[in-house]
Amino acid sequence: MKSFYIRSKVVESTAIIYPKGHLDAHNVERFEKEILKLIGNNNINVVVNCRELNYISSAGMGIIMGYLDEIREKGGDIKLCCVSERVYEIFDLVGFTEIYDFLEDEETAIDKFNN
Amino acid sequence: MFQIKPELSISIPSKTGLLKMVVELVNHIATVNQFSPSESRKIALAVDEAITNVIKHSYKNERNEDIKLEFYFSPKGLKVKIIFTGVPPVLSEVDVNLNRMIKEKKKGGLGVELMRRIMDSVEYQTTGSINTCEMVKWK
Repeated sequence: MKSFYIRSKVVESTAIIYPKGHLDAHNVERFEKEILKLIGNNNINVVVNCRELNYISSAGMGIIMGYLDEIREKGGDIKLCCVSERVYEIFDLVGFTEIYDFLEDEETAIDKFNN
Repeated sequence: MFQIKPELSISIPSKTGLLKMVVELVNHIATVNQFSPSESRKIALAVDEAITNVIKHSYKNERNEDIKLEFYFSPKGLKVKIIFTGVPPVLSEVDVNLNRMIKEKKKGGLGVELMRRIMDSVEYQTTGSINTCEMVKWK
């Protein structure tokens, strides 16, 4: 049984990526491929919707970190939304909460790009 | 203090596919040892990071090397000892600077920092061909 799923969609000028389940070093390649696919298609406004993400290790956080500069250089950003308390505390441990926007819901995250 | 003999030990092959099982096991062990749910999850994450580093850096992603985990319980805390061979770990003493890492487009380097921030002590040692990573969390 798979422990991690990934899908994404593009709404107007914002790409939304949905990691689901347990994101660790075992399945991080699929997460990276999805991010790369979005960037490759010139999507520079990226929302990571963590509603169904139960766990993330540094492997997953490294991907979010590794492409941020490239996206910001192009005028875009990566924002996170719908992060559960248990996942938020992991992001907070390494200081992600000071670098990235964490939004309550997807709509607010998309609106942040549009305004 | 901790007993000389571990209360529990398991051996696993160096497969990242087993990380989730280890995380669930360590989370359970920490909870049973009276750590809060939040602390238990963090301890499990620290062990995930340590094993990921062993597989990636010491075993270069070879899937059939041995990793032994020993758990020592005490009313005051929990000690996890990870025993492995392969390339001895070389740890950076430089503090993690997230902004610098983002500028340098780095994808790695957060694991050991997470271990250090979660656990009260993290010590690596190499004796002959045997490497150990010993982590302690006090209550």
